[in-house]
Amino acid sequence: MEHGYWIKSKPVYNALVWHEKATAHLIIAKNQGVLVALKLFQQRQPTQPVTLLYAQDGTDYAKTLNKVVPAGLDVLNSEQDLLVSLKNIMPNMRMGLRVYVAGSEGFIWSVAEVLKTFGVEDADIMKELTDTLARTIYCVHCKAITHNITTNIGKCSGCERMLFVRDHFSRHLGAYMGLMIDAESPGELPEIEEIYP
Amino acid sequence: MALNFKKETFREDYTYSNSDAAIKRFPFPFPEDQYMYSVNIEPHTKGKQGTVCEFTFDIDEHYVAECLDKKITLEQDPGRYKALPHMMDAQWDFVELTMEALAQDYPEHFSLKKQGLIWTWENKPLGIKDTFTFGDTSTLATEPFDYIGRQLQGDFVLLDHRDETLYADAGIVTSQADWSLAFNVGMSWREWHGPVPRATELGVMDRALKYLLNLQIGSPVRRLNWTMTVNPRLDTSPENYPHWGGERNTVNAENIGDLIHLRVELQTLFRLPRSNAIVFSIRCYLISLKDIATYPRWAKRLHRVQKTMHPDLIEYKGMTKFHPMMVDWLAKFDDGETLAIGTQPE
Amino acid sequence: MSMINVKVAAIEQVTPLVKHFTFVKEDGSSLPAFSGGSHVVVSIDIGGRVHRNPYSLMGSPMENEAYHISVRRQENSRGGSVFMHENVTVGMPLKITYPMNLFSLAKKGRKHILIAGGIGITPFMSQIADLKRMGANYELHYAFRSPEHGAFAAQLKESCGDHLHCYIDSNATRLDLEALLSDQPLGTHVYVCGPSPMVVATLETARNLGWPENHIHSEQFLSPPIGEPFKIQLARSNIEIQVSAEMSMLEAIEAAGVEADFLCRGGVCGRCELDVLETDGALLHNDHFLTDSEKASCKKIMPCVSRAKGERLMLDL
Ligand code: HEM
Ligand code: FES
Repeated sequence: MEHGYWIKSKPVYNALVWHEKATAHLIIAKNQGVLVALKLFQQRQPTQPVTLLYAQDGTDYAKTLNKVVPAGLDVLNSEQDLLVSLKNIMPNMRMGLRVYVAGSEGFIWSVAEVLKTFGVEDADIMKELTDTLARTIYCVHCKAITHNITTNIGKCSGCERMLFVRDHFSRHLGAYMGLMIDAESPGELPEIEEIYP
Repeated sequence: MALNFKKETFREDYTYSNSDAAIKRFPFPFPEDQYMYSVNIEPHTKGKQGTVCEFTFDIDEHYVAECLDKKITLEQDPGRYKALPHMMDAQWDFVELTMEALAQDYPEHFSLKKQGLIWTWENKPLGIKDTFTFGDTSTLATEPFDYIGRQLQGDFVLLDHRDETLYADAGIVTSQADWSLAFNVGMSWREWHGPVPRATELGVMDRALKYLLNLQIGSPVRRLNWTMTVNPRLDTSPENYPHWGGERNTVNAENIGDLIHLRVELQTLFRLPRSNAIVFSIRCYLISLKDIATYPRWAKRLHRVQKTMHPDLIEYKGMTKFHPMMVDWLAKFDDGETLAIGTQPE
Repeated sequence: MSMINVKVAAIEQVTPLVKHFTFVKEDGSSLPAFSGGSHVVVSIDIGGRVHRNPYSLMGSPMENEAYHISVRRQENSRGGSVFMHENVTVGMPLKITYPMNLFSLAKKGRKHILIAGGIGITPFMSQIADLKRMGANYELHYAFRSPEHGAFAAQLKESCGDHLHCYIDSNATRLDLEALLSDQPLGTHVYVCGPSPMVVATLETARNLGWPENHIHSEQFLSPPIGEPFKIQLARSNIEIQVSAEMSMLEAIEAAGVEADFLCRGGVCGRCELDVLETDGALLHNDHFLTDSEKASCKKIMPCVSRAKGERLMLDL
């Protein structure tokens, strides 16, 4: 089942482009994701109001951003701060808002989870993957979530089983399925390789 | 006809077995010598007396034991039941569909009395009798779908119909062929069918969805699906794979006839009236290779189907370890006689 | 396809052009429950020719003693609505399909904006019953020509209260779609049913304001248009059929005794889709189901509403 076998639940991330039709735009970016946001402004400066939430996470593009989005910019230190800020501004948003998210996969789906509680569905969010291919995995055995898995097999943060990272993705959980790799032959592990750098 | 409910287990000592009558009515899924995925959907009309399609929902000799096994699974892992909040109308629709069907088809075991919205439900085999107000969740001890889902053999998924697709937004799933409700809940048709090999390429999935989106009230449909399971285990979930996966290593040429079971799912789909949701019912039947071989026609057919099975399907269905051994074991029943199309045992 | 035998229990003239029909089961038993926005196809025999037309169910989905539909008299139609108005009487037996829903409420919606024009109010009658039962946040915007044409307006005022907003052409009150749709909370869904210009204007306004496609819902049954007569060949049945000017292709196929699938008969559901094997002329696609590229490919046609020009149209049936 190698060539052409593609599990359809795996999200496809695209390059962000402005929605022509909108009443307002909200860009949410973390770390290198903010370069993607800047790229958007290279395309065009939209006529509608723009809000940009930026979690620095060690990067520093605040100055540059200030020039492009003087009005709606909110620079935060971390993902946690950003999510708090997002929850604060969402109640004021109206239909016609278009949402763009850029960052790691873990970040994208944490943001999507917050947006869902305000009636913005996954299909309505534009997403671009940056920084890393690291995966969040859901252990199907103990239900624990483990972040930042960069290898084909990772250790569950809950039950410590070694989990094979399947290509099957749940938008509801924001995670890939992790399935015990050595259930049929305990202790026999294939070589562990970094495949999601 | 009153059923004789058996005492048996689907785990640890695996005392499950089929009576001669149960073998004879087994829903054998192979009408031809080859098998590949297809849109094998047909109207769920009443079948002949004694067959698994005689009634809307089939209740058989394993009913009480299966409900007990379901209870154990749900106790160990409450995550096998999940219903998203917007599915409450569908939950009540499901209660109506199942209670009315069971009371009508098996009056000696189940009864439903209605006084306006006050309903009294009695399930004699499980010793349950409750009065509740239809549509009022506070009058039952659990959510309505959970309440009646535990009193039925098989698994159920409630699907919300929106954005021109179906979403698996509720389910009670304890006898599944290796998929996880907790993981799949909230997924769309294309997402949850993502891991199925070849079917998308064959166009099977898109056509089946198109058909289902037009499913009508009062015109349910059905199809069969199958896999192979080591030991008569209902709960072959990914959740418990660490417990059952190792059983695949115990199969050998001597015990294969007893250990390997053909697992057939009778899947039925109904449009629900008030919610416009669809219920997907998955009723699992298990039979050992030895019991299949009591009917030479079935053994021959199964041999040919397995011998020509596509390698992707062997892998997807988890049969890789024992498949060659199984084909060898079945070969001794096959004299090469031409078999007419059809699934009948004789 | 399974049909339900009903009889007409009551007929009421609600406006100069609209009649309200009440159906009960012929055998007195209860009818199937349904969901808000559902319709049934009513079959009537006019001079030996069976007409089948879709109508929205108006009653509360919780009531299953009777079904309610309303029919607007359409003078230059193919006769179905005129027949309903003039020839259908109380006590008459009719056949209807089971309810089906191509215009259902989005259950996860946080707010629902319903926009009706004239007879387009009918699917909202049952939806409102559902919205009220669920305690949902909704607004009903109802536009009609003049006070006497506002079917059910008084009844709606009573049941919807402040949720109802009426716009009456003759009083020069107009619905400002742009204002309405530019200030709605996230998670709002808009639904429109009414004359074609109103549906088009609503869809366009919502799209221009950036509403995502899956928050915009419309229902617009097409009645099969009258057209030029043409011929079709059915490959598997091995017959040739003449489709007359005022008959649809589906009706002509049925009249020839060939079984064909259908559900909505309004070009929406996709059930009647047929494969075109050969054609020499243009296909006149009138449906809302096929994509533009499917229409251009000339490989598929929806016989319930679409027609053809030319001598040869070979169908896989
Ligand atoms: C609408 C209700 C349905 C639900 C909820 C459902 C669910 C599922 C799930 C969860 C799987 C397992 C996927 C995995 O490996 O994780 C599956 C497999 C599959 N489904 Fe469905 N399904 C439905 C209807 C259908 C229908 C109508 C068809 C008709 C073609 C179909 C065809 C298949 C096939 C061919 C497989 C692979 C099974 C195997 O090889 O064992 N499904 N389905
Ligand atoms: S019958 Fe529905 S599209 Fe033709």
